[in-house]
Amino acid sequence: MAGRGGAQRPNGATQGKICQFKLVLLGESAVGKSSLVLRFVKGQFHEYQESTIGAAFLTQTVCLDDTTVKFEIWDTAGQERYHSLAPMYYRGAQAAIVVYDITSQDTFGRAKTWVKELQRQASPNIVIALAGNKADLANKRMVEYEEAQAYAEENSLLFMETSAKTAMNVNDIFLAIAKKLPKSDAGNANQQRQQGVRLNNEQTQPSESGCCK
Amino acid sequence: MNMLGRAEFGVSTFYAASHPNDKCGPNGLPLTPNSIKVLGRFQYLTTIEHPWLCRYIDIAKSKHERMLVVTEYYKTTLQSQLESGKYSRYHSHCLSVIDGLSYLHSKGITHHNLSTDNILLQTDTDIKLAEYGMYYMTDWGADVNFPIGLPQYMAPEIVCSGPVEIDDETEDSLQPEIGPKVDTWSLGIILLELILKRQLWRDISLPEVLQKLLNLINSEMSPLDFLANEEGFSDQLKTLSKDLLDLLRFCLTLAPSRRPTAEELKKHTIFREERQRMTPHKNGFTMCTMKLRCKDLELPSYDDEIYDPDHLSQRGMAEVYYLWQLAGGELEAVLKKAGMVKTQPPVNLLPCCGIPDGDMFGQERDKAELLDRTVVILPQEQLRNRLKDIEERAYYPLLEDEYADNSQLPTSPSSCDLTMTASLPLVIREKDVEYQFHRIILYERLLRAYPYKRPNIWKEARVDIPPLNRAHVWAALLEVEGDIENIYSSIDKETPIPTDRQIEVDIPRCHQYHELLSSPTAHAKFKRLLKAWVVSNPQYVYWQGLDSLCAPFLALNFNHEGHSFCSSLLPIACLSRFIPKYLNKFFLKDNSPIIQEYLAVFAHLIAFHDPELSNHLDGIGFIPDLYAIPWFLTMYAHVFPMHKILHLWDTLLLGNSSFPLCIGVAILYQLRDRLLSFGFNECILLFSDMPEIDIEKCVQDSIKIFCSTPKSATYRQHACKPRKQKNDDRPNVSYYSRDYNEQPQNDLSMEPIAIEELKAEKCPRISAEDMIELGEFLGAPLSRSPTKKRANSKPMIIIVDVRSADEFRKGMVQGSINIPFMTAFSPEGELCPCPAVTTLNSRRSQVIVVVGNRGRNASNFANELVRLNYSRVCVLHRGIDILKTTGLLTVAPADI
Repeated sequence: MAGRGGAQRPNGATQGKICQFKLVLLGESAVGKSSLVLRFVKGQFHEYQESTIGAAFLTQTVCLDDTTVKFEIWDTAGQERYHSLAPMYYRGAQAAIVVYDITSQDTFGRAKTWVKELQRQASPNIVIALAGNKADLANKRMVEYEEAQAYAEENSLLFMETSAKTAMNVNDIFLAIAKKLPKSDAGNANQQRQQGVRLNNEQTQPSESGCCK
Repeated sequence: MNMLGRAEFGVSTFYAASHPNDKCGPNGLPLTPNSIKVLGRFQYLTTIEHPWLCRYIDIAKSKHERMLVVTEYYKTTLQSQLESGKYSRYHSHCLSVIDGLSYLHSKGITHHNLSTDNILLQTDTDIKLAEYGMYYMTDWGADVNFPIGLPQYMAPEIVCSGPVEIDDETEDSLQPEIGPKVDTWSLGIILLELILKRQLWRDISLPEVLQKLLNLINSEMSPLDFLANEEGFSDQLKTLSKDLLDLLRFCLTLAPSRRPTAEELKKHTIFREERQRMTPHKNGFTMCTMKLRCKDLELPSYDDEIYDPDHLSQRGMAEVYYLWQLAGGELEAVLKKAGMVKTQPPVNLLPCCGIPDGDMFGQERDKAELLDRTVVILPQEQLRNRLKDIEERAYYPLLEDEYADNSQLPTSPSSCDLTMTASLPLVIREKDVEYQFHRIILYERLLRAYPYKRPNIWKEARVDIPPLNRAHVWAALLEVEGDIENIYSSIDKETPIPTDRQIEVDIPRCHQYHELLSSPTAHAKFKRLLKAWVVSNPQYVYWQGLDSLCAPFLALNFNHEGHSFCSSLLPIACLSRFIPKYLNKFFLKDNSPIIQEYLAVFAHLIAFHDPELSNHLDGIGFIPDLYAIPWFLTMYAHVFPMHKILHLWDTLLLGNSSFPLCIGVAILYQLRDRLLSFGFNECILLFSDMPEIDIEKCVQDSIKIFCSTPKSATYRQHACKPRKQKNDDRPNVSYYSRDYNEQPQNDLSMEPIAIEELKAEKCPRISAEDMIELGEFLGAPLSRSPTKKRANSKPMIIIVDVRSADEFRKGMVQGSINIPFMTAFSPEGELCPCPAVTTLNSRRSQVIVVVGNRGRNASNFANELVRLNYSRVCVLHRGIDILKTTGLLTVAPADI
């Protein structure tokens, strides 16, 4: 239940406007993407979270002042091979969380690659957050906080170290993203709904290689 | 197969050491419970099969890390014989013990626990070693809080080396330098006791025994002389033969380096005569082996004098134990009855005081954590009562007779009951002891005759597969054969490869709720299995999901591994047959054309069977790409829990490569109402966490779907190519096992279609030959398509010709109706009423085959029909042109 503490949920009386945002999680496999989502959406943590194949989808709503922000979260497969699927999910996304594991330098390197790809190919206004997950394993740390923070500042990313296991900073990072997202033009839920369909149409466009593209 | 014979089943129990609550491994995950580790290591023991060794049969985990171990057991021990004072056979028994030990050592197992009370007497002449697996399964004692082995029989180096230590990083024990030679020492002491007909160091306390051992180590004398001195049997020693004395001294050598191994002892001159009389032991049934089956064949002699009316004793131990459980046997209940489950109220185990630092004092050690070596015999009355009405001949069914009559179940007084049972739900059948008894015996015989009895196995598997035989039946269904042992032992499973990292992070997340699969032993096997597959399939790569795909084979062959020593190879052998059959090219580095085609055909199949659902899902953009990739890439192993996968695959393995598509449609069927009422988000949320699916219903639905789908409708160019027909004895009995792709191709067959075209079309195409067959244009059905014939001989298809009326008149297929595409639809998109449309509407249960010219009219027309919720719509591939060579086109009678 700790996971739900920070996120205010709609209490039924929603006077303010409702915004719907598409958010995608990217990062090397086994860094804890699915665990972060599960912690945020259901307040749960599974020690042996199954690997994600293709992608998974979940939604969660947070309240921010007078605005209700609904996140449509695409949790992607981490394995490099599934890379070619990723554009299908980050295309049209307003926010992305790029996750790495603080106990592995390799995953941090991979996170940087994802940030580059997003900056190049995702929508130009995308809000990117960098999450250094598994902060509970600080004694095994291989990526220094300062190093990641410096990188985040350089690239103007939101940055937090998180722990899906202890729920540390999990809701906070989603809230921080919600705050940074523009609420004025993205408020139309119907417009958002089209995203799903458009994603479908773009399927037919030829692409170089890889799974399902 | 190791027959039950006169053996009893014995259950014993012990506690695995529990970890402190807050301790975590280096990866932040909780440490694997010791009970799970023991459970994993135990599985190897079930493969140990030797005439002088009791079999390990089963292990179960109970509350609070309590383990229950089931073994073969006999009531008489060497010690009880010794006490009765009428013992004299030490000579031959000694060689048997040595032979058993040497076999154990060759398997990497050190007994470490040998004493006169765990050498059991099967008969007066034959001994059986028991409890030899304790040291092995507990990771050399690391997983338990008690010492293993009696101090009286302990080799000096054990006392010197202290307890085992565990490496916290790897969770493995740092195995101390204690080798199998400790058993030689214990043997020496035992032999001495047998000769003296009394126990040494009998009624003295534990510290005294240890003190004496230390004295022995420090003594100048040889151990034997020291003991003789201490215990006062020097005179008796003098009466022994030189050979025997030599053997004793040899065993009781202080320095392990100079002490002989069991193998060396076997060659001692004292055993020269016995050695010659010993027959080499044979291992049991092996499913795939290059050895001649008839090599050691011994026909049983049906001598009236040795005729044994106890037929159950002729069955395998694992099998009888399985039936014992089905007949209501419960280990815990047996132990409770024997007063072995002693529980203390937790309050008694609380420490007396604790200080703020967290240190605890005055905590009494729970005596229950120590090893209780009592073995409780499992009563077999209940099982025997349940089986007492079964006729003798049911134990030895004749397979040939079953060809003649149609009933598949052997006759017995209760055969009508059995036939009734066969129609009950699967879960009930699997719990019915009598039904399982018949099925197991039948399968056991069929499997022995594999591959010759393969058609029968196929036939029986369509009814059901008994869980006990599943591993081998699956292998048979997958047509595993040949020298798998040699092939797979030659694969390098150790050298690091780039995929290792991915494999290592995926394995600890794969089906970890499964007790066996979460054990370190399973993780190690899993890794070897995946590596072996990756290395032996250089054309493919490791995609996440391959782990899930392997899990069922691994879990299945873990259990009951004891049936055959090669079954540790069955997982990889099965996998290597499964992937080409069902997931051909799915694991290519660039698998997108394959998956795209698969998903497009899946979409067609949904539209073919359920246009309403298809229209709805298409409308909200909920395309199979978003949810069905994990379904197909893992053949549902990623989306269902293990027990459901097993039942699903029981049928999946009988189907061809297109069958899994039908399972997908059947899953959508079950969720149909919800999906129809849901929008995009709700739909995808539904599949992010797979809802409860009734597998038995799903399986039945998929068979129905399969049987009502023309074969060419699921044609995929990337599906497996026809196998070379190397011999013709392959069975052709299964009505839904043949693959369209395995049939010879001709001009009327299906051809590869570009992916863009596939995606643009909503309906499947069918081949001309399928149409000809379904329409019965050639008279006698060729039974090429699985679609079953109805009793009334109405044609199964209605052909809708969408060319212009003019073209139609010049040449048409007999019985077809003409709805020209150009005038078919009103501006509102409805079909304009006309006599042909009325005919079409009156025959909506039939497969609608849309036939057109070369252009896109036919497929556009078909798309419109789907939009209007017409089901079973398909398009004739290559249109009317393809029929020109067949002579089926006729000129319409004028003026209709």
